[in-house]
Amino acid sequence: MKTWLAHHRQAIVATLARMAQTPFATVFAVIAIGVALSLPAVLYVLLNNVTRLVGALPAQPEISVYMRMDATQMQNDDLHQRLKARSDLADFRFVPRDAALVELSKQAGVADISAGLTQNPLPDAWVVTPRSSQPDAIAHIATALQALPYIDSVKQDSQWAQRLNAILGLGHEFVTLLALLLGAALVAVSGNTIRLQILTRRAEIEVSQLIGATHRYIRRPFLYFGVLQGLFGGLAAWLVVSLSIYLLDRRVADLSTLYQANFQLQSLGLLPGLILLLCAMLLGGLGAYLTVTRTLFQSNAH
Amino acid sequence: MIRFDNVTKRYPGGHEALCKLSFEIGEGEMVFLAGHSGAGKSTLLKLIAAIERPTTGSVLVNSQNVGKMGRGAVPYLRRNIGLIFQDHKLLFDRSVIQNVLLPLQIAGFSRHDAASRARAALDKVGLLKREKANPITLSGGEQQRLCIARAVVSRPALLLADEPTGNLDADYARDIMDMFKAFNQVGVTLVIASHDEDAIRTYAGRVLHLDHGVLQA
Repeated sequence: MKTWLAHHRQAIVATLARMAQTPFATVFAVIAIGVALSLPAVLYVLLNNVTRLVGALPAQPEISVYMRMDATQMQNDDLHQRLKARSDLADFRFVPRDAALVELSKQAGVADISAGLTQNPLPDAWVVTPRSSQPDAIAHIATALQALPYIDSVKQDSQWAQRLNAILGLGHEFVTLLALLLGAALVAVSGNTIRLQILTRRAEIEVSQLIGATHRYIRRPFLYFGVLQGLFGGLAAWLVVSLSIYLLDRRVADLSTLYQANFQLQSLGLLPGLILLLCAMLLGGLGAYLTVTRTLFQSNAH
Repeated sequence: MIRFDNVTKRYPGGHEALCKLSFEIGEGEMVFLAGHSGAGKSTLLKLIAAIERPTTGSVLVNSQNVGKMGRGAVPYLRRNIGLIFQDHKLLFDRSVIQNVLLPLQIAGFSRHDAASRARAALDKVGLLKREKANPITLSGGEQQRLCIARAVVSRPALLLADEPTGNLDADYARDIMDMFKAFNQVGVTLVIASHDEDAIRTYAGRVLHLDHGVLQA
């Protein structure tokens, strides 16, 4: 166990030393990986912020309930009781048909038309605000109300919520796709730097194989190189994300003051950040593994 | 220790390097492989170390069939074989002692044990004073001796040498051969490929003559 640990510590130190020997190549590779990873990471963070913003919006989806034209006062009272009894409503209010007509005639261009009307064509209406903005919950309430005999029609005002959800879902899928693509790019970058490493260390690999090195032994330093390079690239990406969010946040703060809101951008959290590092290390290691294994099976001394 | 049964090696392209070879080498023997260049001496050594595989027939080393050996087992076979190359195959990006340490690092020796063993091996070949030098600064004879130190440092039971005195002058060549003799006296089995008939005659070992891949009686 002790020798095993010593072996690995030795390998890490040797890998860091090798990176320090070629600082430019190392820095360029780290930047390439960092930028590639920061793109989906920044988008992910922005998307999360938008989702949070949407959740915090005061505007709630509403359901408009129109009574039948011949609905009685008793039926209105009945509905009032029913709405009161529901626990999934945040608010509801009654809009009498006369008030609605007054409201309508105030609108420009409609006044002339309403003046010519001999009788009020508008029904009594209720505006119901569900507690939840989930499309399912809204639909559920709408269906329940629609079933009442004295109700003519129910209009869900939840389409915008569905649309927004769809757009956010699309955004998430886009980020996932981008992350996959750039993850593949990371594997390629890592594989390529390892390939160059292998070229400069061909003699060492050949001699090691001739004197009894296992594939695992030969692979190990390259794997370390790939993993460490991925780690540094991941850290660079994290830095890029934090820096971008920091810079954006000041603009967002200005903007939200103008809207009399208090909204702060959230940066990459600890857990997503650690996941980012882990992915970078895994992908870097994968690139190294693929390249070294390919070389090992190509060389004739195996 | 080594047994060839009807071994033929044909390289891709049709060239037949070895043809129906059968012989046996016992433990502790010192055997010379003689023959002109291209007679198949190197190929024969490569078959023993599983660097090449026979086309037909079987090559047994310590009663293991190395021709059928899995990839995973080959490294462990090679750790018991010291290989000495005509072109030395030294690594010029590290010091003399680092070159000798390589087999021990691969075999997983502790740093302390490895260092003392490596020094002992360098002492045996008379290069202890040059341990910190870069191998590229060594003469041809010294490089060959360094290659020998690397081959014997893990104390293998079998040494394979391919033209170890190939491009050395007579004095150096005698040094090397005396070293081999000394290893043989402590029980190491040696197989030495050489086209140097004089050297072979001086050491009166068993000689296997190869001619165009065929063993001469």
